[in-house]
Amino acid sequence: MSMKFSEFKRLLGAEPRSRDPKFLRARQSSPEFEAAAAMAEHFEARLEQSLMIPAPDGLAETLQSISQTAAVDSEHRRWWPLALAASVLIAVGAAGLTWNMNRGWDSVEEYVMDHYRHDGSRVMAMAGADKADDVQSILSELNVQAIPALAGIIGVIKYCPTPDGKGAHMILNTETGPVTVIYMPETQVTDRETLAFDDVRALLVALPRGSAAIIGPDQKLVSSLHGFIQQSIVPLAGKS
Amino acid sequence: MMSETDRQAKFNGLAEAYGADLYRYAMWICGNDALAKDLVQETYLRAWKALDKLNDIKAAKSWLITILRREFARTFERKVPSFTDVENVVVREEQELEPEDRMEIKLLRQGILTLPPKYREPLLMQVVLGYSCEEISVALGISKSAVMTQLFRAREQLKSRLQKDGVTGNVHEIF
Repeated sequence: MSMKFSEFKRLLGAEPRSRDPKFLRARQSSPEFEAAAAMAEHFEARLEQSLMIPAPDGLAETLQSISQTAAVDSEHRRWWPLALAASVLIAVGAAGLTWNMNRGWDSVEEYVMDHYRHDGSRVMAMAGADKADDVQSILSELNVQAIPALAGIIGVIKYCPTPDGKGAHMILNTETGPVTVIYMPETQVTDRETLAFDDVRALLVALPRGSAAIIGPDQKLVSSLHGFIQQSIVPLAGKS
Repeated sequence: MMSETDRQAKFNGLAEAYGADLYRYAMWICGNDALAKDLVQETYLRAWKALDKLNDIKAAKSWLITILRREFARTFERKVPSFTDVENVVVREEQELEPEDRMEIKLLRQGILTLPPKYREPLLMQVVLGYSCEEISVALGISKSAVMTQLFRAREQLKSRLQKDGVTGNVHEIF
């Protein structure tokens, strides 16, 4: 039994590229059906063109790097009880020294995780609601300065080790809560690389001088700060 | 239990095979580039953690879409983002199109964004992800007949919009 034109139009609108034999037979059954199918195909091509927006360059690599970070993270977690026990022993009389002397990070990602696990929570707890006094003096020693919009929300700042020398560890009092920023004056990173470890997300930011890691409770928050941080830590004149 | 190397290879394959489709899908449901990237990254992070539960690699795409849809619902259960970025997408190849064709694509994109989610999602699944009506029916938990109706109506609305906006083309007269 042949298909009615109204039914054919309905199928054409629902699944224009159907391979169903009944549909394909109907398609060739008369010039009217063929014309309708040709028009639907034209529309479909345009629809496809509209929907198939380009994916960002390097997307697959970025996603693959997420797994590598998560793998490192799970490896860290697996050894965490032993590491904690060892660190308690070492910490007696030498608090922080072991970590500060550690220059053995294999990558900036490993450094960020190690650093944050070392004192991320402690520094976060130090931050008050008021802005820190010593922002520009610490940053100027690293040959950069914070623009006023950034300087005004830094609740705490302190020197810290980085893979390539001295840097700064800051807590920003943002509208959505405190966020950690680690400034690394001499370290180069892949801009916008993301890390996920423990219960935090981190985003690496390439800066005009050096780089920074933004660390916060969720990806949306840290991503939203990318442009702000990139434009707010600027080289001192003649020090780029 | 997979070895770590196999696990990594399997995951890399998923990123390579489906990352772009998931990004497009995310972009069309949330309309914002940064949020779409976050959604896809979060999806893959969760997929990595649960990779051992994926027994049938042929089901990987629908598994990833399920994670992404759940993540989208969870993230935006309180706040629906405004659509902005998709309309501004300019694909290089489109520069070579005739102005009328470019206008048609622009209007279609605007139309897709204004489709009710119950029409937009099946359409995205069909065109962007290549799902059949049966697969959409399973993914959305509705009957195949309902899927077909929604797809038909989605296309009808888009065609009406083009006609309303004066894009005549040669595809709408029959409908």
